[in-house]
Amino acid sequence: MTDSNFKEKSVALWNRFAKTVKTHPHAQFFIFGLVMVMLGYFSSVGVFPSFYLSVFAYIIIYTLVALGLNLLLGFSGLISLASSSFIGVGALGTGVFLNLGLPFELAAALAIVSAAGIGALIGLLSSKISGIYLAISTLFIAEILRQIFTSVDIFGGERLDIGTVKLLGFIELSRNSRAERFYLYAIMAIVLALMMMVVYNIIKSRSGRAFMGISRSENSAAAMGISPLKYRVMAFTVATFFAAVAGVLYALYFQDAPTRQWGLLQSLTIIAIVVVGGFKSIYGMFFGAVIIHGMSELFLKDWLGNVSSVFSGILLIVVILFYPQGIAHVWIDLKKLYYKLKTRKKKDVINDES
Amino acid sequence: MYGGLVSFSGVNTVGNFLNILFNSLQTGSTYALAALAIVLIFRTSKTTNFAQGSIGTLNAYVAALVLSSWGWSIWAVAIVSMVTAFLTGVLIDTFIIRPAAKVNKIAKQIITLGLIMIITGISPYLFGVDPYQLPRFIPQGGMEILGSSLKYNTIFIVLISLFFMGAIFWFIQKTKWGLAIRVTASNEVTSKLMGVPTKTVTMMSWATAAMLGTLAAIIVAPAGSVNPNMMFNVQVSAFFAGVFGGFQTFYGPVLAAFIIAFARNTTVFYLTDIWGDVLVYMIILVFLFFKPYGIFGKPPVKKV
Repeated sequence: MTDSNFKEKSVALWNRFAKTVKTHPHAQFFIFGLVMVMLGYFSSVGVFPSFYLSVFAYIIIYTLVALGLNLLLGFSGLISLASSSFIGVGALGTGVFLNLGLPFELAAALAIVSAAGIGALIGLLSSKISGIYLAISTLFIAEILRQIFTSVDIFGGERLDIGTVKLLGFIELSRNSRAERFYLYAIMAIVLALMMMVVYNIIKSRSGRAFMGISRSENSAAAMGISPLKYRVMAFTVATFFAAVAGVLYALYFQDAPTRQWGLLQSLTIIAIVVVGGFKSIYGMFFGAVIIHGMSELFLKDWLGNVSSVFSGILLIVVILFYPQGIAHVWIDLKKLYYKLKTRKKKDVINDES
Repeated sequence: MYGGLVSFSGVNTVGNFLNILFNSLQTGSTYALAALAIVLIFRTSKTTNFAQGSIGTLNAYVAALVLSSWGWSIWAVAIVSMVTAFLTGVLIDTFIIRPAAKVNKIAKQIITLGLIMIITGISPYLFGVDPYQLPRFIPQGGMEILGSSLKYNTIFIVLISLFFMGAIFWFIQKTKWGLAIRVTASNEVTSKLMGVPTKTVTMMSWATAAMLGTLAAIIVAPAGSVNPNMMFNVQVSAFFAGVFGGFQTFYGPVLAAFIIAFARNTTVFYLTDIWGDVLVYMIILVFLFFKPYGIFGKPPVKKV
């Protein structure tokens, strides 16, 4: 095999790979998942400090919730202030069902189903209540759930200890061992990649277009034969489903669920992630989570102390005022700039010739 | 939440009921002040100010700081904090709300959510992490009515809240500037065309709302301490009062605030200690399902 032959072949292979990635978004999500797993691996073998792994895990959790909330906020134009509470339902629910002696998968499924059920109820409620009334109604739900978490005995008062989880009945993983912690993280990354595919499919389907229609004008959408009630219920159910899955992952990775954390401030953080990341964008949610959570945990904490909430608040307002399309749009703007420069260069050349 | 419930005597039913009533009047006043502020901003700026409580807390911190470092009386620091509240309102309107006039409704709400994050995050840096104390306006004294105790401080709080709310209602209904507020609330673009200084109206409503919030915060503070979350309960209740009473009128939320305070205290005392709030919230949620725009509200007319 000659050298040039090999080069040609590898270029051809690369082109084919690039084409596949471009035409198959699912392949992109697969690669994204792999990259996340690799990042975790680097952190678990010591390229990054080991606490990075927990930050990455948190970013995955936030990305997941933000993906769900994005369907509400970005696509359907509905606001929910209870997203954090549903992470709580996922995490604490899993813990409670595990403590009852159920296997992990069943416990997780039950927790997710109960959260999605509450989500569907809110969706039904939203058939009558809209706008700011709806936002405040979700605040009611958040308050009720917070009271339940902190006052009912089965949630353990301050925190619920979950301990080692047993997957599929025989794989026992504990967060105390470094290698097993990485496996737990890898599961989270894979789930994230899968859920991104799910969101992508929802957006590109009939339902996704219906969400968009409702967010632009509910009356026109209804006139076109789209039932607002059906899609509102669906949007809320999907959003709570995502939040609950994130909660299950929290239970899986941290193996210990606090009861007081699931309040308004965390819901606000998630809204900030959606806004900063960019409405209607999938990767935007990840970048939003990296900026809002990752930046303040990894970098700002060392210089300025615990400023995460000030940082995300300022970023939130600045993005809404000056760059409403969010971080996800930076890439498109850069592309535009690049083409602008390129075409200008060509024009100059033409002018010189003439 | 005021700790007054603990001191109830066991058997005296009339006394208990009166105690609940007085307590509800006091808590209801704070809810009503905050609710009125929220409605004022909702009507003029077309957004729900979720940061209402945080702005009040910020200025209560200022009051507590002045009190502890210079030893002024509570009356003086209350006035100082009112002035700073006025400034906070003006600043927020000028630098954040006015530039956001063009963004959509949800984005505007999210801006006020961002304000909560900033204020909650920054207060430990400005004021330290130790909670401050604020004394009552009237430290002691009270009277006995049918076995219930009515503190002078409670009377004063209810009176001053009613005075402020009455003054605002009078201002809105009877003065030229009040007319400007009402027309801005009804249609901002048209009133701008008619020569109403809508910018000043909006700015003044933010300033007034901040002052009302601060007054509520100073009333609440003596029961616990001045801390970043002190207004959370009041703010949430004020929002619930807003939804319950309907945002379309100025008086609806104020009445609903007293109803919610009374319902809460009653369920907490007579039925269950922990689940009183949950019960009241559930009832309101079910109520909202059947009457989505509150007791006094009308559904908004939407033109396609």
